[in-house]
Amino acid sequence: MAYKCPVCSKVWPDTLDMARHVFGIADQAHKNWVNSKGLNFIELLLIQTMEPGNKGYKTLAELLEKEAEQVK
Amino acid sequence: MEKQLLRITVNGEYHEVYIKPKKLLVEIIRDELGLTGTKRACSTASCGACTVLLNGMAVKSCSILAMQAEGAEVTTVEGLAEGAKLSPIQRSFLDQGAYQCGFCTPGMLISATALLKENPNPTRQEIKEAIHGNICRCTGYNSIIRAVQGVAEGKYREGGR
Amino acid sequence: MKKFTVINTPVHNIDGVAKVTGRAIYTFDVKLPGMLYGKILRSPYPHARIKNIDASRAEKHAGVKGIVTGKDTLGIKQGIWRRFKELCDEEILARDKVRYIGEPVAAVAAVDEDTAEEALDLIEVEYELLPAVFEPLEAIKEGAPQLHENAERNINVTRHIEWGDVDQGFKDADYIREDWFKCSSQHHVCMETHCAVASYSPEGKLTVWTSTQSHYYIQLLLAWVLGLRENDVRVISRYTGGGFGSKFELDSAQFCSSLLSMKLCKPVKIVLSREEEFMATKRRTPMFYYLRTGVKKDGTFVAKEARAFTEGGAYTSMGATALYLTGFFQAFPYVWPSYRYDGYRVYTNTEPSSAMRGFGAPQATFCAETQIELIAKELGLDPIEIRRKNSMYPGYEVPGQAWIQSCGLIQCLDKIEKWVKSRGKLPPNHGIGLAAYGFMSGGIFNWFDTPYAFSAAIVKINVDGKVDLYVGSQDMGQGSNTTLSMICAEELGVRLDDIRLHMGDTDICPVDLGAWGSRETLMQGNAVKMAAAEAKRQLLEFATAKLSPNIVYDLDIKDRWIHLIARPERGLSYYDVVKEAIRGRDGQPIIARGHYTPHRKGMISPAYSFGVQAVEIAVEPETGKITLKNCVTAHDCGQVINPLGLKGQLEGAMAMAAGYGFTEDLPMDEGKILNPNLVDYKVLRATEMPETEVYEVETYEPEGPFGAKEAGEGLTNPTAGALSNAVFHAVGVSIKNLPITPEKVLEALKEKKKKKEG
Repeated sequence: MAYKCPVCSKVWPDTLDMARHVFGIADQAHKNWVNSKGLNFIELLLIQTMEPGNKGYKTLAELLEKEAEQVK
Repeated sequence: MEKQLLRITVNGEYHEVYIKPKKLLVEIIRDELGLTGTKRACSTASCGACTVLLNGMAVKSCSILAMQAEGAEVTTVEGLAEGAKLSPIQRSFLDQGAYQCGFCTPGMLISATALLKENPNPTRQEIKEAIHGNICRCTGYNSIIRAVQGVAEGKYREGGR
Repeated sequence: MKKFTVINTPVHNIDGVAKVTGRAIYTFDVKLPGMLYGKILRSPYPHARIKNIDASRAEKHAGVKGIVTGKDTLGIKQGIWRRFKELCDEEILARDKVRYIGEPVAAVAAVDEDTAEEALDLIEVEYELLPAVFEPLEAIKEGAPQLHENAERNINVTRHIEWGDVDQGFKDADYIREDWFKCSSQHHVCMETHCAVASYSPEGKLTVWTSTQSHYYIQLLLAWVLGLRENDVRVISRYTGGGFGSKFELDSAQFCSSLLSMKLCKPVKIVLSREEEFMATKRRTPMFYYLRTGVKKDGTFVAKEARAFTEGGAYTSMGATALYLTGFFQAFPYVWPSYRYDGYRVYTNTEPSSAMRGFGAPQATFCAETQIELIAKELGLDPIEIRRKNSMYPGYEVPGQAWIQSCGLIQCLDKIEKWVKSRGKLPPNHGIGLAAYGFMSGGIFNWFDTPYAFSAAIVKINVDGKVDLYVGSQDMGQGSNTTLSMICAEELGVRLDDIRLHMGDTDICPVDLGAWGSRETLMQGNAVKMAAAEAKRQLLEFATAKLSPNIVYDLDIKDRWIHLIARPERGLSYYDVVKEAIRGRDGQPIIARGHYTPHRKGMISPAYSFGVQAVEIAVEPETGKITLKNCVTAHDCGQVINPLGLKGQLEGAMAMAAGYGFTEDLPMDEGKILNPNLVDYKVLRATEMPETEVYEVETYEPEGPFGAKEAGEGLTNPTAGALSNAVFHAVGVSIKNLPITPEKVLEALKEKKKKKEG
């Protein structure tokens, strides 16, 4: 099972990988999408630095698990 | 500012040039005489890239007004070789790879030449002190020290020298 | 016949005679008829809006021929990460806002430098001051002044690398350690400052002589920002007086001289002063690093979590790459079952930070190696043993990132261990510290978005046997000209004086991405080898026909002798075959091409160099002064190509890296660099350099030409870490804040005494 990025349709093997892609590319389109889903892009990034564990990435991955289209 | 006459011998050739009195020796060497081997790499007389021999002494030509060299004999890197025959220090630099980007090299060669003239058998510490005023960012200096030692050891001596 | 005829023999650098006789013409020396001299007016403020520029008085000044400001540009925000437009954020000649002290706002061309300098004072710029921010941890705070519209909280780029389960790893660890580090900035201090001579002709063609590490990048970037056709721009750079990472981006000398030349249709020369060089080019990326590491009590590494905030300065520059590489090399050269890295590059109103020899790896290595030493001490483990236990090895895969093929790290550790033992017991306040490293041999990334192969070469054999070798690479002192000529000569089977190298001119040379990321030996070397092999194949066709041996025999060329490999006494002179081959082809010289682009080589590089460095120091406890006593390096660069050049690169890298470790710093006050000169900025001088010893560990790297990998950049990685470890062993304090100045050592010694007494 793989996942398609809801913004640019790139396919990723898991949602944590896709989260890395979304944070890494950080263009306006991806940022806007995250912000439109009730999360705050910048806040997630800052949580990643300030709090232990992989919190920022895990939170985004959870959102992508719900929103991203699953592909074979 | 009125120009003044500068009479100077550079690499054995006598020159007469009219220059502005505030001109530095390095500017005359590079811009008036077109000898671009001597470089400039700072404006605080700290780097040694402009080192030339002035009446046999190694000096930073950026810290001397050209007029102060009136009547003097100057040697630049272009004056070290005799035609196609490189000087011992130049040959030693080649053998040791004692240069990389090459920008500090003319100044280094001059400092080394001045040292060896005054002290043909310098210790490692004396060599380091002689080139202390020459910054090299590429070599880490050790190859340059080896090159000077090579000449001091007599590797490049010809019969009768 | 011995293994190699040319490779790994001590040869004179092919540019040697030019350099020791002062014949080498650098951009600094270029003078053209009718040439004007340019100077750049720079912002005195770290953050301000440009309200108005009035250059009328300057224009009237006698001897001034032309002035340009941001209004004379196409307003293109450029950057080297061309594929990611959001990271192309630098106009060079600012139009609406300045973001660091030293940012160009205008440029003047005049009959001489003094006149141009006087004219600068006559240009009136009206600024509206804006609040500024200088520290990354301040710049990400809510309400901090924002430098760029699209960068909320001034976060420029972020990077994340992860494998394994770090959180589980920490649960499994017996011992966990957390440390914060501060890695300082550093300046390249190239002896030849940034400079350019631009000459625009009425036919619409621009020629630029410049001191650069990549004439190809400069050609494309200039064409882009000036709106010219790529190949109507010619960049020439036969000799470059040092680069070290500072000269492969578009700089103010190149841009302003080109603009002025296009306006005036006259050559314009701009040479940055040493002060401008310090203040307004680029510098090493300063980093705040947090490392949390978990190990087993026997020293086996289990988990590592790294977080880095880098002080980006005003623009992206090459900072995004440094951000990734530092996180990647943070896990080098060891096997980490789990690892997590989060890197943040933050905009600040300071000089942009970018690439400098090591590209984020010296910073990472300093932190990693210092912490490993502390862990070893806490657990009562030997510093060499803990490293050996966790060392990378040939065949290791860094999960999702890289394949390590050749790796001589264990042998390097063995050699250093032997040397350390041989030193015996050291006098008081003396210490030996070591650090291990690994580094890349050229990057696989194409953020520049070139359609060309990463490297290409052309070989042409003339009738007298002289070989023209055309390469796109740039020799900035690292010796690539000689190394590549040696590779060509070895592959083709001729001698070094048969090779005539052509480089440094975009009109003539094939494309190569330039001298950065340690790519020339491997990438350009592979392209050269391929071209030479093809030329050889063409010659062998004729030789085979002439000799007509039994089909079981094959031919090769060694030392100008074309022969049957199995029966080397049967052969022909290379010169004779060349003549016949050319005659046989209607009088056409032999021409062959080669190229190289890494495909499917992981996320970073096709190959990695490795090494271990030990530094012996003496500390004066009353003053905190550190004296370097000895430096020994064991390293693995695969097959050595140019041994004389390699030795020089190693010693030079060590001097630069030692400077990073304890003498060089760029202190700033409200964004202003306080020591922009060579008196106050302290690079190592000859009197401070210790004797250096090198042990070569020979491995064979299948990705590299003749098994070769990089050397000159990786060698900059370990010294800062080795120094901090040496101080630790000498006087018992661990300094985690570069550079390790006498003041810091004294302070740490005082703290230690207090703690003991308290």
